[in-house]
Amino acid sequence: MPRRSSLPVTFVVPTLVILLILSMVPTLYAIVIALQNRELSSTAYSYVWFSNFVDLFFDRRFLNAVWVSVKWEVVTVVATMAVAIGLGVLMFEVASPRLRNIYCLLFIIPVLLPRVSAAFVWKFAYHPLYGIATYPYRLLTGGLIFDPLSKPATALFAVASVDVWQWGLFFAVIVLKLLETLPPQPIEAARLDHARRWQIHAYVTLPMLKAPLISLMFVKMIESLRSFDLIYVMTRGGPGVATETLDMYAFSQGFIESGKVSYASAMAVLMMIATVITFTMLWKRVQA
Amino acid sequence: MKPVRLAACLGAAFMLSTTVSTIALAQAPVCSAPVKVLAQPRDGLTLLEDSKDEFQKLSGASFQIDYLNENDRRAKSRADASTVGNYNVYYVDEANVALFASSKWIVPLTDYYPADYDYADFDPGRQKVATYDGKVWFAPLTGGGDLMVYRKDILEAAGIQPPKTLDELIADVPKLTNPDKGIYGIALRGARGSGANVWRWMPFFKAYGGQWFDGDKPAFNSDAAVKATETYLKLFKDSAPGTQTGSWDESTGAFLSGQVAILVESTPLSGMAVDPKTSQVVGKIGFLPPPAPLTGGGYGHGLAIAAKANADDASKKCAGLFIAWATSKENEKRRLDAHQFGELNRTSILSSKEFADIYGADLGQALAETGKVTAVNFWQDPRWPDLGDRWGIILEELVTGTRTDIKGGLTELEAYANELMKK
Repeated sequence: MPRRSSLPVTFVVPTLVILLILSMVPTLYAIVIALQNRELSSTAYSYVWFSNFVDLFFDRRFLNAVWVSVKWEVVTVVATMAVAIGLGVLMFEVASPRLRNIYCLLFIIPVLLPRVSAAFVWKFAYHPLYGIATYPYRLLTGGLIFDPLSKPATALFAVASVDVWQWGLFFAVIVLKLLETLPPQPIEAARLDHARRWQIHAYVTLPMLKAPLISLMFVKMIESLRSFDLIYVMTRGGPGVATETLDMYAFSQGFIESGKVSYASAMAVLMMIATVITFTMLWKRVQA
Repeated sequence: MKPVRLAACLGAAFMLSTTVSTIALAQAPVCSAPVKVLAQPRDGLTLLEDSKDEFQKLSGASFQIDYLNENDRRAKSRADASTVGNYNVYYVDEANVALFASSKWIVPLTDYYPADYDYADFDPGRQKVATYDGKVWFAPLTGGGDLMVYRKDILEAAGIQPPKTLDELIADVPKLTNPDKGIYGIALRGARGSGANVWRWMPFFKAYGGQWFDGDKPAFNSDAAVKATETYLKLFKDSAPGTQTGSWDESTGAFLSGQVAILVESTPLSGMAVDPKTSQVVGKIGFLPPPAPLTGGGYGHGLAIAAKANADDASKKCAGLFIAWATSKENEKRRLDAHQFGELNRTSILSSKEFADIYGADLGQALAETGKVTAVNFWQDPRWPDLGDRWGIILEELVTGTRTDIKGGLTELEAYANELMKK
């Protein structure tokens, strides 16, 4: 029997140990804090065990934040993927190679902007009196005012549009490059069978790209969970609590309003558990 | 060498060495590292940065100011003070000075404020706001009360006299609104926060006789609060677009760009309104105290010495010297020369001939009048930011229509206040 080399273990173990320390220490610390009643304004604390978790389920803002987070996740992921696939296919079909390169360059620019800068730019663009995004409405209605960020019905969609503007256009470039890498034979065969353009993409190209598109969707799902900066700058969770996601509310409780770091940690722990379970289930379902 | 001469030589050498070390001590720099300051944007602080060399010569070190907007500055300073303590000097305000002082995140200022810089010269009202539990905690950078600033041309065209009472204000505001001409009767603050929408709502609450607490018992869930909120929401129907989720910047911005007829806001607005660099309504405005019985929201912001980052006495002295220099008469004179009205805090400057020459007698008169109705409207307690911010969210929900039950909102706040009182 050949003797096994210890070289892989030598290389892998230190890296794994570092990774474990980096990921597990803060996670365990967050769990421990969540079981206490720590507040920023006091050094005294004690263990309250699951009291913070129980309180969360009677907190209307927490329940609202859960619902807003779900809406945010669905709206941004679905819209980003729709824009990416739509624009990617459109560029593939109608643009010359030279034009495609120009579009690609233009579509990558939004995602290169720091989120906070993008948020400020769009916050001003949505200004009811001066904003460029609200200008067409003022023009069409003879000067009526539309303030999308202060209306509960539109605020979430207004902020989500900025997220889609950044990521949808970037993903469109990736979809185009994926389409360009496909072998031409299946597409030519479909054309010979008189398939329409949309049918070629619906039944041939996109099914062929199922695996990378699902990966893109997972990337966007994870990215959408981290939209704190965008929402914070544009609405701070308002109007009222209409755009208050879980991370916004946790930050609010931990650092803006009450300094209740344990309560905020409990939210973070619940978010982590929910995310792990949801992603594991989705991943298994996709792989099945 | 004879013993006497030897003794004389040794004595002379000792005297010389003592003198040299005394001179060295006298010239020893007060600061050994740059002073790190966490603040919110202020014209006065920006101007201060032009004189960095002066502070370097005075103290032996420079300074660095990091700016965050008001709400972010509050959140960041609270997080920093309670954890790592990166900053030597915090920008604090009337709403959080009690919290910072009682949590021992800052130290009493006057222990480290050099006497030469004359703390007693600050406006007495601002000194009062800077005092908590009998000790002075910050040196004012801005402060004051409220003024009613109105557009003479719009009111004259509508045949309306400037309102002297709250009832007149409520009646006049809808008449002055004309969206076709881009004019709105008033501008209020809708954005959440004890220093934002709640700040502007509190004069109404006090005007109707509201009280925050009766001893240890919450007393704010009252008819006064309901009436104040109803009035606030009624006036908001004629508030300029963008203010529903905006604060000071949005409401004053709307007024200064000519869209608002009447604005009751903190006194720095008046200086901005007469400055052609910031205002498009110069020459068209008048000043009066807030319509009775509205109280002016007494406030003060300033610089305080951080406890954690200044672990030893030398660091505290350095931070104290920076604060004294930043708020000195010389720097305040520079701010007056730069027409930074909202940055003036010293009686010697506010009563000077140069001030009267620049801003005129009308404004001086209005400021004197408004001083009589300026009051502390908030609950002076470390728990105030927590309670005020909670009400800020409910009020924002009411303003933007995501909730409609005023009484329900107040009952929710009362339950929260009872929880706070148990701590």
